[in-house]
Amino acid sequence: MRDDIERLLDRLVHASVVERVVISFAALFAAILIGGVLVFISGGFASCRTGLDLAGMTFCYNPMQVYYELFLGSLGHPLGGNWSPMNYSLATTLRQTTLLIFAGLSVAVAFRAGLFNIGTQGQLIVGGLLTAVTVLFAASYVPGGFVGTVLLVPIGVLAGAIGGGFYGAIPGALKAYADANEVITTIMLNFIAVGVTSTLLSWRFQDPDSANPQTRPVPEYAEIPNVPFVGFSGRMDFSLLALGFAAVLMIFVAWLLARTSFGYELRTSGVQPEAAAYGGVDEKRMTVASMTLSGALGGIAGAFWVLMQHGYWLENVPPLGFDGIAVSILAGNNPLGVGAAAFLFGILSSGSRSINTATDVPPELVGILSGLIILFVAMPEFFRMIGRRFVDVDDAAPARSAGGEADD
Amino acid sequence: MVRDRRRFLYGTGVAGLTALAGCVGGFGDEGEGEDTNVGMVYATGGLGDDSFNDMAQQGVLQAEEEFGVSFDEAEPGSVGDFDGAQRSFAESGDYDLVSCIGFAQEDALRENAEEYSDQNFMIVDTVVEADNVRSYVFDEPAGSFLVGTLAGLLTDTEFAAGDGETNPDESTVGFVGGEESPLIESFHAGFEAGVEHANPDAEVLSSYVGDFNDTGGGQETARLMYESGADIVFHAAGRTGVGVFQAAESEGRFAIGVDDDQSMSQEDYADVIVSSMVKRVDEAVFTAIESVIDDAFEGGEVEELGLEDDAIENVYGQSIGDEIPDEITEEVESTRQQIIDGEIEVPDEL
Repeated sequence: MRDDIERLLDRLVHASVVERVVISFAALFAAILIGGVLVFISGGFASCRTGLDLAGMTFCYNPMQVYYELFLGSLGHPLGGNWSPMNYSLATTLRQTTLLIFAGLSVAVAFRAGLFNIGTQGQLIVGGLLTAVTVLFAASYVPGGFVGTVLLVPIGVLAGAIGGGFYGAIPGALKAYADANEVITTIMLNFIAVGVTSTLLSWRFQDPDSANPQTRPVPEYAEIPNVPFVGFSGRMDFSLLALGFAAVLMIFVAWLLARTSFGYELRTSGVQPEAAAYGGVDEKRMTVASMTLSGALGGIAGAFWVLMQHGYWLENVPPLGFDGIAVSILAGNNPLGVGAAAFLFGILSSGSRSINTATDVPPELVGILSGLIILFVAMPEFFRMIGRRFVDVDDAAPARSAGGEADD
Repeated sequence: MVRDRRRFLYGTGVAGLTALAGCVGGFGDEGEGEDTNVGMVYATGGLGDDSFNDMAQQGVLQAEEEFGVSFDEAEPGSVGDFDGAQRSFAESGDYDLVSCIGFAQEDALRENAEEYSDQNFMIVDTVVEADNVRSYVFDEPAGSFLVGTLAGLLTDTEFAAGDGETNPDESTVGFVGGEESPLIESFHAGFEAGVEHANPDAEVLSSYVGDFNDTGGGQETARLMYESGADIVFHAAGRTGVGVFQAAESEGRFAIGVDDDQSMSQEDYADVIVSSMVKRVDEAVFTAIESVIDDAFEGGEVEELGLEDDAIENVYGQSIGDEIPDEITEEVESTRQQIIDGEIEVPDEL
């Protein structure tokens, strides 16, 4: 029995890239199958005017329709008539993808350094508020129009990165110098972030013209601009430039981890802290540095949430930071994989809305369907991560002198 | 063998694709185009709150029954999601009316009304000035004033009914709000003024839970109030208010419901709900749909609904309302008349 499990884990750990992709798609298919049965059965317990009558029961929900909406609805129904690639559903999908790339990178960087950063959400909240406040403040000193955009957007993103980075450095320092478990401190700091920002908002930054808890809107020229002619329209709250920036950042982080000495030290501290320390890595500094970098990426997610989606900071921050954890695990903590995982999450989030409006399936059930897909697709990667602790990774491949496997 | 399997796969694939093409519609979908189609965007408490949102759904269900309209619903989870929910209805162009339930949708709707100027919208509880939006606002302060009068009178009376009883030695009542916002504060202001009007010596405890969806928080808050002597607690807190009823039940005191007759919608707590300040959100939704069907939809108008239209009512509890002494109900009724006649000025701000 034990041997069997070991053999299975071994197989999983040593699966090639192609095998892993095939496994992912098989898992996706299985999730859809199980979810479809679930939707169909729950339709039997719902009440509706018209449905499919079968064996004395009326089934209200059509699983085919649900998955059609989930996957094609999120792209704006490309098989239907008058499809335009610049439609709002696709903009929603890509907006979510962009934000989750930042959040996913944040979690992935910490993971690779051997730290479990659950505080991306808090770093995102703090970074977002700092972005909004800084831009609002700076806007009164900066001319409007194009010059304003060129100055204010980088200032805003930088402010978000600094805010998030600082907020990420706190648990890093606590871990390095007080030996406080980063899982616990980051969770706690999430709550503190919510409380402090909410207090700050009502103390000083609340928009007096709005009934909702939010800051004043930043000037329009301070929002992330769109590419003229080929981009999505300004009111779609999505910018191709932002997605481009996310892609560049993704490649940069991958390069940083794989090709620089900082990245090498970061990864060795993650895999084997003692060996890293023996090799001359300042362990404490590395912990603080990687948490700061992770927090800064979370803060950037907050900055883009403010400057691209809303134009102001809202007290009800969606759980992008927590989704970032799932994105990172799904991507096997590989910075380049984060893009694909974030895209899947984008599809699920935009498709859920499409299901909501087009069918009577309740949002809770849609949440279960998305959850099933994530669970199934992430599980093999998750077992790989666990499996690596029990299976000797290097028995198949000869040891390398630098960097190890690129995809570990 | 291999070939058979391949042929089988190919066959299933083709059959599957063909089936897929015809299968992506809903079961038993009726033909499109004949019906009036309504999109509902609910407030963040979501359906099943037995209060505000369910009330709005009543309106569209009634329209479904009477006019055969079809409708789709969206339940955004947070304020940031309103924009997207409204847009996905407006974007499709399939909806004759998009109903936005709740004041929190104001900002999103102001932008969307401009963007989709051909789309008819309605909004409840706040005003959006645009030619394609019809706004419905209710005179909540007046209704809260009425239930405040009732609470102020009842707290000094020795009254036991159902599962609760008052403590005539303590002249204290309570108010539990959801999120702190001008709208909820207007409930609070009206209630406080009503208590003051009926019973100048009474003390009003008040607290905001900060959430319309936090039953546990509502229960905790209300329990503190009951423990410090409150006989009756009025809530304006959506699903959070269910916690107020739970606390009333366990402490053996009374509560006042909001938005719909909660002694019916929250039957389990009928023995502690003396009354509810009913706000006919369903009426607003229904009339808006009706006007669209009659081709009489007038955007840019603000409809103010109050006591005189019976759009705001004080409805006594189904189970224990009858036991309230007549002199109290008579006084409440005369207060109602005085408000309608303009003899009592009800404040709408704290």
